[in-house]
Amino acid sequence: MKLKNLLGVSSALCLCVNIAQAQETNEVEQLKQQLQQMQANFEKIETEQQRQIGVLQKQVEAMAQKKVVVTNSVVASELTNVVSPDSFRELSDKVDSVVEAQKKSLPGEFNPAIGLVGETIFSGQSKGSPQNGTGYPGGFDVFQRSVELNASASVDPFAKGWVVINGSADAATGQTSLDVEEAALQTTSLPGNLTLTAGQFFGEFGRLAYIHDHELPFVNRPMVLDQYIGGESKTAGAQASWLVPIEHYVNFTAGFGTQFGDNPDAVGSYRSLGAVNYFGRLSTYFDLSDNWQLEGGVSGLFNPDSGNVDAQLQPNGATALTETKRQLVGGDLKLSYVPLRDNQFNSLTWGNEVLYSDNQYLASNNGGSPFNETVGAWGMYSYLTYKWSRSWSGGFLFEYLQNDENSAGQTYGYSPYLTWAISHWNQLRLQYTHTQPNSATGNQPNDAIYLQWTWVIGAHSHGWQQR
Amino acid sequence: MKIKLFCLTLLVLTLGATQTYAAKIRVVTTLTDLADFTRNVGGDFVEVRSLATGVEDTHGVPMKPSFVPLLNRADLLVQTGFGLEHAFLPALLEASRNPRIQPGQQGYVDCSKGVTPLDVPKSTDHSEGDVHPYGNPHYLLDPVLAKIAVQNICDALVAVAPEHAADFTKNRDAYLATLDAKITGWQSELAPFKGTKFISYHEEWPYFAHRFGLEAFGTVELKPGIDPTPRHIENLIASMKTEHVALVVREPQFPEKVPALIAKETGATLVKLPIMPGGVPDTDTYIAEMDYIVNTIATALKKP
Repeated sequence: MKLKNLLGVSSALCLCVNIAQAQETNEVEQLKQQLQQMQANFEKIETEQQRQIGVLQKQVEAMAQKKVVVTNSVVASELTNVVSPDSFRELSDKVDSVVEAQKKSLPGEFNPAIGLVGETIFSGQSKGSPQNGTGYPGGFDVFQRSVELNASASVDPFAKGWVVINGSADAATGQTSLDVEEAALQTTSLPGNLTLTAGQFFGEFGRLAYIHDHELPFVNRPMVLDQYIGGESKTAGAQASWLVPIEHYVNFTAGFGTQFGDNPDAVGSYRSLGAVNYFGRLSTYFDLSDNWQLEGGVSGLFNPDSGNVDAQLQPNGATALTETKRQLVGGDLKLSYVPLRDNQFNSLTWGNEVLYSDNQYLASNNGGSPFNETVGAWGMYSYLTYKWSRSWSGGFLFEYLQNDENSAGQTYGYSPYLTWAISHWNQLRLQYTHTQPNSATGNQPNDAIYLQWTWVIGAHSHGWQQR
Repeated sequence: MKIKLFCLTLLVLTLGATQTYAAKIRVVTTLTDLADFTRNVGGDFVEVRSLATGVEDTHGVPMKPSFVPLLNRADLLVQTGFGLEHAFLPALLEASRNPRIQPGQQGYVDCSKGVTPLDVPKSTDHSEGDVHPYGNPHYLLDPVLAKIAVQNICDALVAVAPEHAADFTKNRDAYLATLDAKITGWQSELAPFKGTKFISYHEEWPYFAHRFGLEAFGTVELKPGIDPTPRHIENLIASMKTEHVALVVREPQFPEKVPALIAKETGATLVKLPIMPGGVPDTDTYIAEMDYIVNTIATALKKP
């Protein structure tokens, strides 16, 4: 029995040793193969480098013979020297640099350039959603306001195109939606200083209406833009822009669209050309000095037969209003201190915009016959932003709004804000807002605090409008 | 009769003046060194405007709408290239509505053509800061490479006005000869300081250092375009002490506070150096700017 056990143990040990030896042999074989592979790779790289250096040397010799550019003895001597180990290494480094550079392309140069912007808002409101008038729910909330995917590229030598797709959530209900914010084509080579844009895009109106939420200087779009325009100036239509050919900067834009703001007009009904939004803007600019700039513009929007049904209950009685004519004019002025020397570390911006809405409504009291009513209302915002370092800036936003359907309803807003731009692509903003509505609005005074975190990955360039 | 004569004279003078104006090649350059080169090569045949005045950060020239009419009428747009102007030039070009100076057109002059870049990054990931995918774009601070820019400008002028080719070539040769003489002088002046280590606020100086035998040791910025953190400054000071870094360079567009603190902590000399003509007083031309840079460094390093 003992002998059998001994034989069994011996056999087992032999087997283990054999397996171990076999494993070692396999590992050695693998290592040998890896070494051979690395040697082969190394030789390949060396051959390629020497080939590239040879090409470069031939070019250098050709340049030296031509003696067109290189008249400097320093360069000439460098280029025509016999290849010493140092100069060989230097040339090799240069070749590597060129090869490396050729591999690169800017994020904005992919075809198309693609980028993503994310924006999260942490907020706290003292009043609930029906009373605060902000669109945010009451109390604490975390709100993914947008995930914005943008792509842009030249279409051909005559036009460029871009798309902005935005996934967002409704602040009050939390309902998410995926929305094509912009999908447009713009000409790049029309004669006569003209540019034509068509598709769905943010039409030029005022100062901040055509700027995306995450590019605003504060957390929320001013109340007056939200109410009179409907948020961003999103339009589906066409726009022509003309740079006046004089030495002073003057630009004129005019366009039309079936929509101007967050909702299309007269959806589902027969739409004549008289039921389309027509808009325009004239802007100019003055250098007050090297460091002080003044930029201003006037804008107008007109829809002769907008037909927007808005069954808003008015505080003075149960009155349903249907917007029958939309008329909006505005003026904007921006004064900026942008010191040439250190504008990345220091600047001051005072921006102002005033809008006057003169919409016509078909009103009806309960049981009564409908009647026309024109409501003239105005609103404005004014903000001052001071930047005191590359990362830090702060400011104050003042707002005033008359309800465009009931001008007796008035709201004041006060918002100090502090921005920390950790980098170009990563920014935090803290804002406190106090809104003070009067009783005619049906809202209550509200205190809110917001923390906005915005980040960008991929291509993201600020165009002329967002400067 | 007198009135008619007066009107006729006025008309002739006006037409004459208009023709003289129209005959000039309208050149817009992004930076002042490129404007200086263009004036030297183009002479009386060019009317040159620079977007920058000289005191700006080369990456951050403010996008003023008043630049748009200038670009709208330009025959040539001269830029540094390697993405140096990416923060402001593409939007201005879009607003200019001038097809002659758009990328790929004859009027779009990229002076980096023919320049071998340094510090080409392995990755364009933003964790490395605001990197330039094609390599460091500050090659104009190397006067030998600046000559390539001069040649590129000359080529562009010849292409747009071949009838003046002989004048442009003559002007170019004269300017390059002057520059060559200055380069020899600058190299002699800095020769005793070969191997001297220095730091700068931004990565502006690798080409300059390479040309004159100095060693760029580090930057105040954490990464290009990213503000320094306290830990980065602490580490930088410690390594500068170990490596005996003698010079702290501050470019005028950056704040002085942190470079001054580093200089104080390490015993290095703090100098303010322009990155283009006009960056500091009395540096209106490229040669004056380089004179200032070389003299300032030499004086700082000569100190006991």
